Order: sequence, then structure tokens, then C-alpha cells
Amino acid sequence: MSDCCTPPPFAPPVNPPEQGELSTVVLIGPPNAGKSTLFNRLTGLRQKVANFPGVTVEQRLGLMAGIDRDDLTLIDLPGIYSLSPYSEDARVSIDVLKGNMVGTPRPDAILLVLDSLHLTRQLMLAAPVLELGIPTLVLLNMSDLMEQRGGHVDPLKLARELGAPVALISAVKGEGLDVIPRFLNREASREPAKPLTLPVIGNAASAHQWAAQVSRKTCYRAPLSEEKSRRIDDILLHRVWGPLLFMLVVFAVFEAVFAIGQPLSDISGDLLEKIGELVRPFLAAGWVQSLVLDGVWKGISSVLVFLPQILLLFLFIGLLEDSGYLARAALIADRVMQTVGLNGKAFIPLLSAYACAVPAIMATRTIENKRDRLATILVTPFMTCSARLPVYMMLIAAFIPNTTYLHGVLGLRTLVMLGLYLAGFVAAMTTARILKSSVLKSSEAPFILELPQYRRPTLRSLGIRLMDRAKVFLHQAGTIILSVTLALWVMAHLPVSHDAAGHLATPALAESVIGKLGHLIEPAIAPLGFDWKIGIGLVSSVLAREVMVSTMGTLYGADPTTQSLSLNDALTHDLTLGGSLALMIFFAFAMQCTSTMAVVRRETNSWKWPAVQFLYMLTLAWLSAFAVNHLAMMLLK
Amino acid sequence: MWNPELNPPAGGICEPNGPERILKSDQISRSSNVLPFRQPSGVRQVLVLSELHVGERAVLVNLDLPETVQNHLMHMGFVPDALVAVLRRAPAGDPTVYAIDGMEIALRRETAAAIRVRPCENGDILPASMLAPTAKAAR
Repeated sequence: MSDCCTPPPFAPPVNPPEQGELSTVVLIGPPNAGKSTLFNRLTGLRQKVANFPGVTVEQRLGLMAGIDRDDLTLIDLPGIYSLSPYSEDARVSIDVLKGNMVGTPRPDAILLVLDSLHLTRQLMLAAPVLELGIPTLVLLNMSDLMEQRGGHVDPLKLARELGAPVALISAVKGEGLDVIPRFLNREASREPAKPLTLPVIGNAASAHQWAAQVSRKTCYRAPLSEEKSRRIDDILLHRVWGPLLFMLVVFAVFEAVFAIGQPLSDISGDLLEKIGELVRPFLAAGWVQSLVLDGVWKGISSVLVFLPQILLLFLFIGLLEDSGYLARAALIADRVMQTVGLNGKAFIPLLSAYACAVPAIMATRTIENKRDRLATILVTPFMTCSARLPVYMMLIAAFIPNTTYLHGVLGLRTLVMLGLYLAGFVAAMTTARILKSSVLKSSEAPFILELPQYRRPTLRSLGIRLMDRAKVFLHQAGTIILSVTLALWVMAHLPVSHDAAGHLATPALAESVIGKLGHLIEPAIAPLGFDWKIGIGLVSSVLAREVMVSTMGTLYGADPTTQSLSLNDALTHDLTLGGSLALMIFFAFAMQCTSTMAVVRRETNSWKWPAVQFLYMLTLAWLSAFAVNHLAMMLLK
Repeated sequence: MWNPELNPPAGGICEPNGPERILKSDQISRSSNVLPFRQPSGVRQVLVLSELHVGERAVLVNLDLPETVQNHLMHMGFVPDALVAVLRRAPAGDPTVYAIDGMEIALRRETAAAIRVRPCENGDILPASMLAPTAKAAR
């Protein structure tokens, strides 16, 4: 896949450019105009998600393979309403369009996507974009819906008014897209058209007037509204049913993740183990076999097992987002968020933090007020991310009996899991309240939220989303987790000594380098009910929480006394029930994720906030784990 | 998103009390519960958006907000002379969803309190962007 490393062609070419000189095309438009659907159409699966250099605004890059133009890179920019930046991601879009973004070439062509159902308002963006003088194709999306509902526009007249080609398309159905390769081929082979002088539009009011005028001249007739969204909202935003359904949705998502995800995880666990056993005869017994199977493979497969559950969680969050429900959820949550000093928009990052804090922290850039945004960033890692899931599952499976209450409706294990989710949520809200009434006090920022129409999520976009996440997860498993398990295995087998017969012998786990390290920190964690093996897990999981599971897997694999035991059984040698509960609470509150710390560093542009966050969360985790362990010891005596 | 009960009929004449007259009967089935804008005769009062009840409509006069916020709202359709309708309140009573320029935008009470509106009057000529045609005009 090509990168954005070609030097930006700042000066317009003197000679007519030849075919193929076009290299970068950007996709721009107002939010909810259907850019991402079109992006998926045009690039197929040859895309990647990356960050703009220097800022953590996500950009999606792809080769335009969907229309057989693999030579062209398409960039999907965050949606904007105007070229005056209101939020961080709008600033990025504008910088890219103007060629001011370091590391991203100035676009050679623009695909401006407008929602034809609301063309008048959307046209306000057309004038400033066309004024940039870059060849632009104006795409009126959802034209099939517009026509179905009695709307109309004359694309030829609009093209004349705008001085740029205009086409009616439907990105969802893939209709009318053949105009895009035609436009690109033509733009590549001819001299850039001199930009039509559009009226200089100083303020929003006159921009609106201009847009209204253009839409009148082009015989635009807005389609009849679709009542479906409002009827759905009559229920989903109902005074009584709204909040109830909201809670039901959140509960159903978690229930499904466990009910469907657990069996899937079990199956993949068995499968991974069988693969390991299949390979065993081919490896010479001895240290190679031990390294590959007991070290690397055991470590990696203990994390891979959780892929089905993590993907399920992302699938549900994707469904909620693509359908348009997340905006309603933000609306319902706004009042509650207001009581802790945040606004409803913080709900979206906080909800996606249930999947992963890293994209969640990036999603905070839609919060306009800087202090609100910082407060949201600081509390986001308390939300129970999917990386905690493997740890919770491992501990719950090992220590919490599978009892059920109310005729099997409520399981004790589910209750413990819900309790952990709740603990994270309460910690986040309390911390936000404290921050917003002290260091981050500010006048309340306006809450402006557009409610998009409900849409049926497409398999395609959900599939692409899941592929992205699976890739990120596997990449992590293949890099961080692989190197940690390797390092752990080596440290668990050093120092090598000679036994009485003169053969090389590996030390007992307690005598190894890693064992000594664990013993070193044992005094600090003994009050929490953790021994030195758990200590090793805690140290290595600072990299990423799920490393805890692979670490324990590798450690027990390296220890002859526990080698033959399953991870769950082996754990009971090291933890009491109280200690296991304390460990769960520790994971609920502690900041054990270098990726999160890195993203907080980039977002806040200083080491101060990630450091404050790390120490605060560590202190809270230690104190709570201490309390839980001692409480359990008292109660279980 | 055009809705007969919230958007003005063809011709840009805003008629608070009687859009039904031009609309087909199947389109007004839901408009019976729409409150007409209470308007003391002869007084052209200026009030704020947050004071409107659900189902009421008004014409936007100006925005009394910091410039960046104002500019952002204007690009979302909150321009002077635009017709705005109160669609629903969030379950907790705040924020409120407004229908403007075919979109649904939620604002908190304190933001809406800074947006001045006036009642619709017979003979209001609305900007072309508000001219969402009725089914009649479309024919």
C-alpha cells in the first residue's frame, strides 16, 4: 500500500500533466454525507487506518482499487461544515485541503460529497472548497432516495453555477460511480480549468444566502422527509422507554459478548492447543521445543483466544454507531454527564472505551471545550476496555463458582463481571466530577449535536471495521506480546547452571532472573494478596493489560510443578479468593497500557497528564485492591 | 427531511395556524397535536428559543453567542429568518431537539436561551432554503 510520502506538488504544473501524474485524491464533505461508504466502495479492501503525522486525527488511506485505479491514493477526511475550523479534526481536514499538512501531499483532485437530501445547507461548503482551485467533482449522494421521495435537482445547472462537474450518485448502492474514473482520467490529461470566481463569502449568513440562491437556480426541490426516523425516535427518545431501552441496549451488548463470545473463545482455545500439539513431534525435544511451544505459542494463544469476544464488542459498537443510535445515546446521557460536569458528547468516547481507550481518546476531539476534553481523556482509561476482558475472564473462570440465581437467569460470574464494569464507570464519573469542580473547572461549553437519520448498517462497512480491528489486535499480538513472551521465557530460563553431571540446567522459576525480579517487588504487592508470580504479571502488563494472561501462561509453562496444569488450575496455587478479587479491582483501576499513555501524551502534548493519570490510577488501584483483599479476608474467615 | 407539520408550505408563506389548508389529508394526520404559536394580537414580541414548547415553531432573529459557536451554528442552519421547530425534549427534559433546515439538532437549554426568535407571522417570506415544497407544489 502506498504511503503519503511523495513530495507535495505545491506549484501547479506548467505543462498539461500527463496521465498518471495524479496521485492523491481526497474525499471531503459535511458529516453524515456518506463519505465513508463511498470510500469503502472506491477502495475495496485495500485500505488502512493511520494517524495524520503529529496529530492523532485518524485518516483512512486506500488505493482506489474499486475503480481499477490502484495508482491513486484516496484519503477520507473528517467531515466539516465549513472551512473555518471549529474542532480539532475539522482543522486537520482544512490543513490537508490547503496543502498545509506536513507529510500529506496537497491533493491533486477533490471528491466533494454532499447529501442531496439536504442540498441547500450542504452547498455552503461547496463555495470555499471550489475556491481552493483544485479540480473538484461534486457528488450528490443519496440521489436515489431524493428522487424516491419526490426531490429534484438539475445537475447540469448546478455544474454551471459551481463551475465544476456534478454527478448524482448513490454510494450505498454503488450507482453512478463510473463518473469518478472518467473525471480522474480527464483531469489527469488536461490543463487544470481556471477556477470560476465564486462570490467571496465572508460570513455564514451570506454563505447561506448564496447557497439558497444556487439551489433555487438549479431547481432544487428538497425531498419529502422520511418520517421513519422520527417515529423510531418517538420510542427510542421516549420519556420512559428511551432510558429503559438505552440500558437494555448496553446490557444486551455485554450479555451477547459473553453468551456468544465465550463458546467461541473455548473453541478457538482448543483449536490453538491442538495446533501446538500437532507441531510438537516436529520439534526436537529440549530448549527449542520449550521456547516455541511452552513460551511463544502458549503466550500468544492465551491472548488470541480473546479475539472472538473483542471482535464481537467492536461489532456491536459498530452497529450502534452506523445505525445512528449512538447520537441518541449521547442525547439521553447528556443530563447525567452534565451532573459530573461533562457533556453528552463525552458519552461516545466513554462508550467506545469499552472496546479500547486509544480510539476513544482520539474520539474526544469532537468535544469543543478544551477542559472538558482533557477531563474526558483523563477518565476514559477507567472504562472497562476489551484488554481487561481476558484478565477478568481468566480470574473469574478460576475463582468464581458457576452458580446461578433466579432459575439460571442471573449467573454469579456475570454479576462479578458487571460489578467490575460498574466499578470502572463509577471511578470515571467520580474522577470527572472531582476534576471538573477543581483543576479543570470551566464555563460550560455549548452542546451541539446533530441527530442523523437512522440507517441500516451495511455488512460491508461493519466487515471492514472488524477487519481493521482484527489487524490491529493481531499486529499487537505479533509484536508486543511476542517480544514480551520471548523476553519472559529467556528471563525465566536464566541463569543457566551446570548440574552435577555437567549438563546445562535451567534454574527453578524462583531462582531465575524473572523470579528474582518478582521477589523484588513482592513487598509492595503482598498486602494486596499477590505473590511474586503475580508481580511479574503486573510488571509485564504495564505494556498492555492482556499481556498479563500470556505472562501467566508462559510462567506456568516454564515451571515444572505447574506445567501440566491448565492456566485456571495453576492460578489457584498463587491466589486466594480475596487476592483474585483484589487483582480484578487492581486491573479495573490501574493504567496498564503504554498505547494509551502514548496517545494521551500526543493528545495533551505533554508528559504531565499521562504521568498524573498513571500515578493517580495506580494509587487508586493499590488502595482499592488493599481494601478488597482485607475485606475478603475478614468476611471469609 | 421535510415534514408538513413543521415546515412551511409552498410559497414561503408561514402560516402558524393553518398549514392544513394546503396539505393533503394524509399528511396532516399527525398535525392535530401541534400547538399553534400563542401570539398576542398586535404585539410582535421577541423571545428566545428555549421558551418555546414542543410542537411550536418560530423564526430565528439572531444568535447571542461567542463568535465561533455562532459561526458553527450558522453553518448548521441557524441563520436569521430560518424557521425552527421544537421537535422533542430528551427523556431527562434537556437538551431539546430542534428541526431546522431539514436537520435535527439538539441544544441545551442555556444555548437555546441565547438564540432569539420571533413568532411566525402571516406573510413571512422565508429564505429559499426553507422552501421545502409541499406535495402539491411538487406536482
